Amino acid sequence: MTFEPKIVGFLCNWCSYAGADKAGASQMQYPPNVNVIRVMCSGRVDPQLVLKSFKAGADGVLILACHPKDCHYKEGNYRAASRNRVLLQLLQQFGIPEERCRFDYVSAGEGERFSKVIGETVEAVRALGPLELQ
Amino acid sequence: MKVGVVFCKCGTAITEKIDADQVQQRLKKLYPDVDFVTVDLACSEGGKEFVEAYLKDKGIDRMVISACSPRDHENTFKGCMHRAGRNPYLMQMVNAREQIAWVTADKVAATDKAVRYLDAAVRRVMLHDKLESKQLDICPDVLIIGAGPAGLKTALTLAESGRKVIIVEKTPVIGGMPVRYEDTFPKMECGPCMLEPIMGDILHGPHSADIELLTMAEVQGVVGSYGNFIVQIKQRPRYVDPHKCIGCGECTAPCPVSTKNPFNYNLDEKKAVGFTFAGALPNSVYIDPEACVRFKGESCQLCKDACPVEGAFVFDDKERVLERNVGAIAVMIGSEVYDCSRIPNLGYGKFPEVYNSVEFERILSSTGPTSGEIKSRTGKPPENVAIVHCVGSLDSKHKDYCSSVCCQAAFKFSHLIDKRVPTAKITHFFKELVVPGKEEFHLFHEAQNNTKTKLIRYGSIEELKVSGSGERISMEHPNGKGATEKTIFDMVVLCPAMIPAEDTAKVGKLLELTQDKAGFFDEMHGRMDSSLSKVKGVCLAGTCQAPGDIQRSINQGLAAAGTILSGLVPGRKLEIDPIKASVDAARCSGCRVCNSVCPYKAISFDPAKKISHVNEVLCMGCGTCVAACPVGVIKGNHFSNQEIMAEIDGVLS
Repeated sequence: MTFEPKIVGFLCNWCSYAGADKAGASQMQYPPNVNVIRVMCSGRVDPQLVLKSFKAGADGVLILACHPKDCHYKEGNYRAASRNRVLLQLLQQFGIPEERCRFDYVSAGEGERFSKVIGETVEAVRALGPLELQ
Repeated sequence: MKVGVVFCKCGTAITEKIDADQVQQRLKKLYPDVDFVTVDLACSEGGKEFVEAYLKDKGIDRMVISACSPRDHENTFKGCMHRAGRNPYLMQMVNAREQIAWVTADKVAATDKAVRYLDAAVRRVMLHDKLESKQLDICPDVLIIGAGPAGLKTALTLAESGRKVIIVEKTPVIGGMPVRYEDTFPKMECGPCMLEPIMGDILHGPHSADIELLTMAEVQGVVGSYGNFIVQIKQRPRYVDPHKCIGCGECTAPCPVSTKNPFNYNLDEKKAVGFTFAGALPNSVYIDPEACVRFKGESCQLCKDACPVEGAFVFDDKERVLERNVGAIAVMIGSEVYDCSRIPNLGYGKFPEVYNSVEFERILSSTGPTSGEIKSRTGKPPENVAIVHCVGSLDSKHKDYCSSVCCQAAFKFSHLIDKRVPTAKITHFFKELVVPGKEEFHLFHEAQNNTKTKLIRYGSIEELKVSGSGERISMEHPNGKGATEKTIFDMVVLCPAMIPAEDTAKVGKLLELTQDKAGFFDEMHGRMDSSLSKVKGVCLAGTCQAPGDIQRSINQGLAAAGTILSGLVPGRKLEIDPIKASVDAARCSGCRVCNSVCPYKAISFDPAKKISHVNEVLCMGCGTCVAACPVGVIKGNHFSNQEIMAEIDGVLS
């Protein structure tokens, strides 16, 4: 039986969550492994929430933001991006390879891109196997 | 607490993929006390009634609704909660259609996913706070900074709809830059004449009672936020009562003092008492205390003696500080031109016959230093004129951007020189030609088709080298055929880049407005909201936001007026959505990290209590500060750590 990874996806309300809706409206099929948590802005994604996801059993985490210059809240996506760089270092200290946490951009119109990112993320985490925290 | 799950089938759109019975059974096992009901189309009229009745009949106070995207119908179902007498924030929506049913090929997997999402939503909704939106009293009055075309049009539009408007203008005269232009492109309309109907209405129109015009005034302090600003305004003394002065100008001739006239860019002199220029409005003289001998201890009162009106002169007039309460502020402080002496090869400031565009506008004006006659300082009409475009614009060494109006001004100059000095030859030196719009090309074509006019492209402004002695100036320049030539010109007109006005940083600091790379005020969004600043309640218009022409400035001013009229309505309170951040005052360490990350400047530091505080009017609820707070004492309403973590546990269970 193939390993089905559990992934938590934090999506900002205005771009990437709308992009996910767009994929839905276009009935694009993608794997069901990513569990979406809606936040108003990617800038809200506290590293704590990512660590919590891994602790609660996630094999991977996906953070999706508005494209640079498109943030509904002007600069939340930049905050998210810079915070993510620190987060990846933090994850390594916990023994979590940074490949398990993906940060990317999806706009409200990019349904196809959303389903592609989901597919890629699921395959990447599947290849890494289940996360075993020490 | 009683939680109810409403499962919408959405016709068959959801149930084709998600097995409602199985979801119900599995959920019942997890949460035996949670009620579960299915509905065919929850968003239909009948569906909404059903949901409301269900909430009431079963005594449900917290609802999870599994249906379409919350981006579609969250507000619809919040309405059901509200009508059923429930707090609308005690609701969580599961996006079963767009993000499960429509995107998952496998039915078993789709049903599993729906159960996970519902589990998460039930956990989450049990933690929701009863949030209430707040209502805030507002002041509908508006402050406008800058009495140029944008400011005046905005003021008049607001006053016409019954708003009280306060206009603060730094100079003694209204109308901004275009009142100094005798002719404006593209139709050669006279600037003051074009503005006269607006200026007349501002001063004496049917709505002028609602407009408080404060000339020679500047804003010196602002506190508060959208809906309720308190503004402190400093007004310099005019020494003349503008309501008594009849504008006859009898006082000017007897005045013994002459001084440089800054309104004509020091090209001529003015008296210590008088107008900035003939026809300036408000129609009242003013005394320049820097020049007047009375303010240097002499007892001269020749102006007062010549005045036919009793009490018009007020020698003991004092500086006043006024305070006004307004709900919104419109910043329309204009721009100025780039200092051409920063490009030394052009000879500006060195050779008197090298003018910049605003100086040349005054030379063309009948109220200017030469009464509109185009002549050199020696009094002779020019035989050969050079007009240089793109001075400091589109130039990485100076200003990167195109100032967008200079080409049109340059071709206007060309037209007027040709008309007034028909023998003159004109050469345009340009880097790029920009003549957008439906009328603006006429003047360009006219110059192009004029046999006495040449157009020569240059690559870099350094290729133009002005030299000479006395009246005779010559310019080394590319000749358009790949070589360099030297030509004698008796007048050179430089069209410099439009740059932010000197006061931009000062006004920006008072209002916490940010400036872009070029120094113009940052707009909320370059395409969608260019008349809004990044501070809520502060609008922008005109060239303080970006280079542009009169049309653009006026349109932006009207857009600002529209925003203000729809946002601040007398008698209506400002409704504040409760999805905001809040600081736990008892636990805040005062590190101010949140102050710096807030994109809306909604968080300020209270130096007395040494803690940060969120202004609920300005907070947009993005939650960036919540994530940034190193001690975790900022709570994001409706998106708290607790709520999100419960959701994480739910989807991973």
